Amino acid sequence: MSNKKITSKEHKKVDLEKEVMSKVTSGQIVMKPKWYFVLGSVFSIFGIAALSVVSVFLINIMMFLLRKHGPMGQWRIETMLESFPLWIPLLAILGVIIGIWFLKKYDFSYKKNFVVIIVGFILSMIVAAFLIDQLGLNDIWARRGMMRKFYQRIESQENITPNNQDKGNLQNGQGNRYIKNK
Amino acid sequence: MKDISKLSDEKIIEMVCKKDKELYVHVIKRYQDKLLRYANYLIGDEHNAADIVQESFIKAYVNLKGFDTKKFFSSWIYRIVHNETMNIVKKQKKQVSLYEEKDFDSGVDIEDDFIKKELENHTHNCLDKMPVIYKEPLSLYYLEEKSYEEISDILRIPIGTVGTRINRSKALMKKICQTKK
Repeated sequence: MSNKKITSKEHKKVDLEKEVMSKVTSGQIVMKPKWYFVLGSVFSIFGIAALSVVSVFLINIMMFLLRKHGPMGQWRIETMLESFPLWIPLLAILGVIIGIWFLKKYDFSYKKNFVVIIVGFILSMIVAAFLIDQLGLNDIWARRGMMRKFYQRIESQENITPNNQDKGNLQNGQGNRYIKNK
Repeated sequence: MKDISKLSDEKIIEMVCKKDKELYVHVIKRYQDKLLRYANYLIGDEHNAADIVQESFIKAYVNLKGFDTKKFFSSWIYRIVHNETMNIVKKQKKQVSLYEEKDFDSGVDIEDDFIKKELENHTHNCLDKMPVIYKEPLSLYYLEEKSYEEISDILRIPIGTVGTRINRSKALMKKICQTKK
């Protein structure tokens, strides 16, 4: 019985070798070309770069909107929470999460403390967003250039609060930002 | 042509990619025993281990041009086996422990071999009771004789974590084996 088992073990090894090699020689399995891996690396680098830019931009928009209205009292915060375009922070968080997932794929990620990498990644995006806002780029983009329409849209989106929708303030040219105070 | 057995793994891989794909058989010969043993430690089932190793060799061949020959092939192939094993473990949800059920080759009639097998089996039983995150670095370090750096590359965890896990697993192993007695 033991001999049988030993033989079957040996067979398994030979079978494994034969099985794989028969697939290799018959062309049943083929190597993926080099460009496939190069393209994969290029896409992931661009992916991280694009996600970082989008996330920085969205965080910057959040800072811009917060700065414009300023959390200066409960009523302001309430108004802001009611009208704040929530898709911006949600999209920013999603961008950061996918960015971290991409980072995890890289070799260096496990050689260093990954928590530090994540914190560094998030902090650098917040700092970049803060700098863009502080340098006044938002104000420039909101007034001219290709981004003007986008800024107008998010500002108008923010101005339409559920409580004030019936007042049609945007259509009649009045801002509704202070209606609640009247 | 140089003697293949004297060439490094990485050199053979280069030759497989550029010249002769049939040289891949030498890679299989070099690693099949080690990988079968490693997969078997992790999954505790010879048949599943053989399937895992076969699938790993196929995946390795398919992705061979993506392997960076400046790195260790050994770490790369062990990493593939690790991934394959984890997929199976996840699929099964719980680890299948066949050590209790399987009959080891007790038919070998020399007493020394019997004792050796018994000890080996006892060690396997202890190892099998450990969580995978501790079992893996321990088996790689002591049974596969890998360095901390190689284990770090295989498991994709920092070198410090490798050390911590090995120390913890040693303590755990001691505890489990003593309890069993």
